[in-house]
Amino acid sequence: MIGYAPGSEVSRVVPAFISREDEVDRLVWNPLCINNLAKYLLDYRHEPGKVAVVVKGCDSRAIIRLLQDNQISREKVIILGIPCPGLINPDLVAARLDPGAQITVAAVSEQDFSLQTGEGTFTFARDEALLKKCRDCEQHTPVIADFMLGEEIPPNDPGDPFVAVKTLEELPVEERSAYWDKQFSRCLRCYACRNVCPACTCRECVFDQAEPCWVAKANNLSENTAFHLIRAFHVAGRCVDCGECDRVCPVNIPLSLLNRKILKDIKDLFNVPTPGTSLEELPPLGAFTNSDPDEFM
Amino acid sequence: MEAYTISRDNLRTWLDTLARDYTLIAPVREEETVSLFKPVRGFAEINLGYTNSTVSPKGWLFPQTEEMFFFSTSDGQITLADAQTPGPAVLFGLRPCDIKGILALDPVFNGAYQDCYYQKRRQDTILVGLSCTRVERHCFCTSMGGGPTDGEGADLLLTEMDDGYGIEVLTPRGEELVNRYQQYFDADRENRVIPAREELGKKLARQFTRNVDTTGVKEFLDQHFELPYWGELARRCLGCGICTYICPTCHCFDIFDQSPDGESGVRSRCWDSCMFSHFTRMAGGHNPRPTQKERVRNRFLHKLKYHRDRYNLDGCVGCGRCVTRCPVNIDIRQIIADLQEVARHD
Ligand code: SF4
Ligand code: SF4
Ligand code: SF4
Ligand code: SF4
Ligand code: SF4
Repeated sequence: MIGYAPGSEVSRVVPAFISREDEVDRLVWNPLCINNLAKYLLDYRHEPGKVAVVVKGCDSRAIIRLLQDNQISREKVIILGIPCPGLINPDLVAARLDPGAQITVAAVSEQDFSLQTGEGTFTFARDEALLKKCRDCEQHTPVIADFMLGEEIPPNDPGDPFVAVKTLEELPVEERSAYWDKQFSRCLRCYACRNVCPACTCRECVFDQAEPCWVAKANNLSENTAFHLIRAFHVAGRCVDCGECDRVCPVNIPLSLLNRKILKDIKDLFNVPTPGTSLEELPPLGAFTNSDPDEFM
Repeated sequence: MEAYTISRDNLRTWLDTLARDYTLIAPVREEETVSLFKPVRGFAEINLGYTNSTVSPKGWLFPQTEEMFFFSTSDGQITLADAQTPGPAVLFGLRPCDIKGILALDPVFNGAYQDCYYQKRRQDTILVGLSCTRVERHCFCTSMGGGPTDGEGADLLLTEMDDGYGIEVLTPRGEELVNRYQQYFDADRENRVIPAREELGKKLARQFTRNVDTTGVKEFLDQHFELPYWGELARRCLGCGICTYICPTCHCFDIFDQSPDGESGVRSRCWDSCMFSHFTRMAGGHNPRPTQKERVRNRFLHKLKYHRDRYNLDGCVGCGRCVTRCPVNIDIRQIIADLQEVARHD
């Protein structure tokens, strides 16, 4: 079973893998449970037995995606959905709580997050502390689950989630280009954004191929840009907007802005919800219909 | 050796001058939480208020991508041409842990095997250290034999004081640099600089949130290669390269050629990571580190055992970067503590 356990500091929670009943006590659920655990299902594809996984609203879309791509079979996975009221920015927690403390009780209300440790109760105003991706979240309740652990939270209307994309779209092309050049030039090509992404499931990734060498290992603006554009196109229509790539990037490249631009274009073109929202609705770029206008053929 | 003081105004002018006379590499604030070492044109671009940079400054001495030589072929002959090497440089504002990181790289590139690329850059680069002014929650340099005001390895060490900066000259090369710009410095006649740094060191020593004890860890690892613990860590490791790319002591690289026409081109080397699945994959497909378990084990054995075996130096300087940035909280401080625990039960 894949869930969350306390990490090495009060502000961190880690993916936990448990296989015995007496380990259940290690598991926690609190507003710091940020990692999308669905990606780990891939590691258990060929292992015997079933695997249970804890998912929040955003992560649950990744499960649908993996099922739709036949990456994992439905019988193999037990989905433990947790309706998620939103997560807290871990940096704020780290700044106020003693790193060695343990959170014993966590509560989230309309106004604030409250975390209790041995040293007392700490509250954080929700407006300031809520993660940006949670602010834009439509589906706090997982879209698929075998067991729903908690009361369902009604769908949310976050307003327009594409404000930042539109602001960028309006800039003259030179400025847009300069903006991305500045971002891509500091990419380390550590590939954390790929390794964490539930839309990245290729057995051999194009960026690991030496023959032919699609993108050179050389770290420079041109190769880095090629890497980012190829990756963005490869996850187009399959990115479930879980925000993990954004979170893990060590040099804060705003990957959500890039992936959301494509998400927005696909929504505009095909009038579909975010990929992974429904098991029946296939990703627009991964499905075939006879009514396809084939404009470019 | 000698100590001097420099006023804030003079520091500004000195750095502007250094940027004209040398390639000046200094910490720059790129984004709200990202600072990087980059070539700068003057003081205005530098941010001295950082604690440690997001990526370590090792990239100046060992660039992420470095051209080694150019080649061209004609009439069955091959012609080689040297790649350009940068000239004299000043690496300014290095935190003590990063200077120690350079000391950990030296025997790798400048020991039994002489690496001409690293050696050239190292010889041409003056290292100017800067004592820390605060300790971040991931810092644990004192546990790894360093300290936030420890200048070992630098040519000059700057320490912020109330009315400017103190400068300690630590090597003849540092002395030359100070002599060249005498006009900006005042001799430390009242001997204020060293006491000020020691005072700051004591104050900062109290700010560390977590200390680790490495005693016995290497000896335990000498005896135990197989541990179920590595498998447990590996389950959550994503196999990304963040921890190795941002680390001041990691130094693996890969060599590759680029030749668009197949006749001429460039041979370069670039950072590689033992955390990548294809890092040890050989021609024919065999991989001696077939799963993430072997890779995670390799990384920590390198930090805590192999580097010591080879060079009698820790492979970790306690900068805490990998602790901050690992997306799944694989925390070397915790690993050291866990290994102590496992050793106790052995
Ligand atoms: S995580 Fe960030 S630095 Fe690493 S490859 Fe992705 S964009 Fe580049
Ligand atoms: S591209 Fe980023 S946001 Fe989209 S599914 Fe992958 S990790 Fe999640
Ligand atoms: S330890 Fe963390 S940073 Fe390093 S490869 Fe594993 S997941 Fe990535
Ligand atoms: S292993 Fe981590 S803490 Fe140690 S020197 Fe490298 S990045 Fe810093
Ligand atoms: S690890 Fe030590 S030397 Fe490095 S930044 Fe932190 S306090 Fe300074």
